[in-house]
Amino acid sequence: MMSFNNVSDPRRQNKILRYKAPSTETNPTLEDPTPDYMNLLGMIFSMCGLMLKWCAWIAVYCSFISFANSRSSEDTKQMMSSFMLSISAVVMSYLQNPQPMSPPW
Amino acid sequence: MRSVHLLVPALLLLLAFPVSRGRYNDDFDDGEDIADFDDNDFAEFEDMNDDQAAEAETAPPPRASPSSQPEEEEEDEDEATVELEDGLDGFEDSEAQDQDMYSKYDQEEFEGIGDMEKGHSMKDPLIIHTVPAHLQNSWESYYMEILMVTGLLAYIMNYLIGKNKNSRLAQAWFNSHKELLESNFALVGDDGTSKEAVSTGKLNQENEHIYNLWCSGRVCCEGMLIQLKFLKRQDLLNVLARMMRPIGDQVQIKVTLNEDDMDTFVFAVGTKKVMAKLQKEMQDLSEFCGDKPKSGAKFGLPDSLSILSEMGEVTDGVMDNKMVHYITNNAEKIESIHFSDQFSGPKVMQEEGQPLKLPETKRTLLFTFNVPGMGNTSPKDMESLLPLMNMVIYSIDKVKKLRLNREGKMKADRNRARVEENFLKQTHAQRQEAAQTRREEKKRAEKERIMSEEDPERQRRLEEAAQRREQKKIEKKQMKMKQIKVKAM
Repeated sequence: MMSFNNVSDPRRQNKILRYKAPSTETNPTLEDPTPDYMNLLGMIFSMCGLMLKWCAWIAVYCSFISFANSRSSEDTKQMMSSFMLSISAVVMSYLQNPQPMSPPW
Repeated sequence: MRSVHLLVPALLLLLAFPVSRGRYNDDFDDGEDIADFDDNDFAEFEDMNDDQAAEAETAPPPRASPSSQPEEEEEDEDEATVELEDGLDGFEDSEAQDQDMYSKYDQEEFEGIGDMEKGHSMKDPLIIHTVPAHLQNSWESYYMEILMVTGLLAYIMNYLIGKNKNSRLAQAWFNSHKELLESNFALVGDDGTSKEAVSTGKLNQENEHIYNLWCSGRVCCEGMLIQLKFLKRQDLLNVLARMMRPIGDQVQIKVTLNEDDMDTFVFAVGTKKVMAKLQKEMQDLSEFCGDKPKSGAKFGLPDSLSILSEMGEVTDGVMDNKMVHYITNNAEKIESIHFSDQFSGPKVMQEEGQPLKLPETKRTLLFTFNVPGMGNTSPKDMESLLPLMNMVIYSIDKVKKLRLNREGKMKADRNRARVEENFLKQTHAQRQEAAQTRREEKKRAEKERIMSEEDPERQRRLEEAAQRREQKKIEKKQMKMKQIKVKAM
C-alpha cells in the first residue's frame, strides 16, 4: 500500500506519454545548419586544396568544426569521410609540392 | 653600396687564394723570406693596395710575385681587376689605374693582355643560388605548417575541455533536480526508443551542447520536455565569438497540456527586449496579444520585466502573490514565461502559391531561464535553478485551476473566431485557386480516360455520362443561386 503523504502524490502511471523527438520539418528554424555547411565547405576546400595548400588546411579545419557541431544522431561515416578527404588533400598537395607554405603577406 | 661592390672582388680574391696558394707555398718552401723580396716587386700593387686597403687586408701579401713570372702577374692582374656586374661602376678609379698599368707594360713582354681585357667582359658574374627551402634541413621554413598544426591541436584541446565542462554542468543540473522531478513525474527520462515506458533516469545527449529530458506521468499535464541549451564550448570558433558578444547558457522547459488542463488564454511575461521580440515572432502572441507589452511594475514585478496578455483578467489570474514572489526573487534568471492554448511556435514563412492550413496548436507552458554566470558557469550555478523548477510545478497546478469567468470566456472565444476568420480570408484566394486547379485536373484525367478507351461504344457512353454529370452540376448551381436570391428577398 502507498505510504501516507501529506500532499497527494501527483504522479500518475496511467498518464505516461512516450517521448517523441520534435520533428525538424515543422520547425526548420530550430535546426542548426552549421555542421552541414561546414561539411560542404570542407569538401569544396578539399577539392581546391589540390591546387592551393592553404585551401587544404582550411578544409581540415572545416571538417573539425563540422565534427564539433554535429548532432549525436548524425552518421559518423559521413564525418569520417569528410575528415579523411581533407587530410588526403593536405597530404597530396605536399607530395606534389613539398615547398613550405608562404604567408600571403 | 660601394662597400658591397668592393666585397665581391674580395670574395673572389679569397676564392682564388687557395688556388694560387700552392704556388706561393712552393716559393716559400725554398726557404725564402718575404723580406728577401725587393720592394720594387710590390711596386705595381702599391696603388691598388691603397684603394682597397680595408677590404684587401685579408688579401695575402705573398701575392707579390717576382716579375720573372709573367703569367702569375697576369693572373694577379686577373684577380686584381675583377669584372663587375653590369651597371656597377665602383671601380672607376681602380680601372683607370689598371688601364694605366697596362699601358705601362711592354706589349712584347706581356702577351694577350688586350685579349684579357676583352675576356673579362665575357665572363659571367657568379650567381649563388639559395638552396630551396624544402631541401634545407631546417624546420624553421615550415613555420606556417607548424602554426596550422598548433591551431588544430588547440582546437582539439578546446573541444575536449568544452565537451567535458558541458557534460559536468548537465550532470550537476540533473543531480540537483532529480529528486524534485522524480517526486512529481512517473517517468523521468525517456528517449522514445525503448519498448516499454521505463525511466532511463538520465539526460538524452542530443549534441555536445544540448541535453534533453522528457518527464511524463503527472496530473494536470501530458508531459514536460526540459532542454539544457549550453554554449558551444566545444567549438573554438564559438568560444572566440563569445569573447566579443557574451551570452549565457539557457534552460528551456516546455509543458504540454490537455484540453482539460488549461482554459483558453494567452499570456507572457519576460524581459522587455525578449517580449518585444516574441510579440513579433510568435504566431499566437502576435495574433492574440496585440497591445504593447505592459511594464511589470504595475503588477508588483521588477521594472525590467514586461507583460503581454490577451486580457486583463488573465494577468490578474496568473499573477497571484506566490507567482509574483517567485518571479521577483528570480527575475535575473527569467528570460520569458509563455502560457498559451494557441501555441504553434514561431511564425512560419508562407510559401507562395500554397494554401496554408491553420497551424496546429497545442496548449503549452513555455519557460526560458538564463543560467547565472553568463558563460562562466560553474556546477554550483546549476543548483540555483531549483527554485525555478518549483515555480514550473506550481504553474502547472495553477493553470489547471485557473478558469475564466463567463465574460472572459466569451471574449476569448470571439478572439479565436476572429483570428480564424482572418486567416480564412487571407487564404481564400489561394484556396479558390487550389480548388480550381483540382477541378481542372479531374476533368483532364477524365478526358484522358475517355480518349484512351479503344472501344468506340464505351467511349461514347463515357462521354455521355460526363456530359450528364456536368449538366447536373450546372443545375445545382442554378438552384443555389435561386435560393440565395429568395433568401435575400
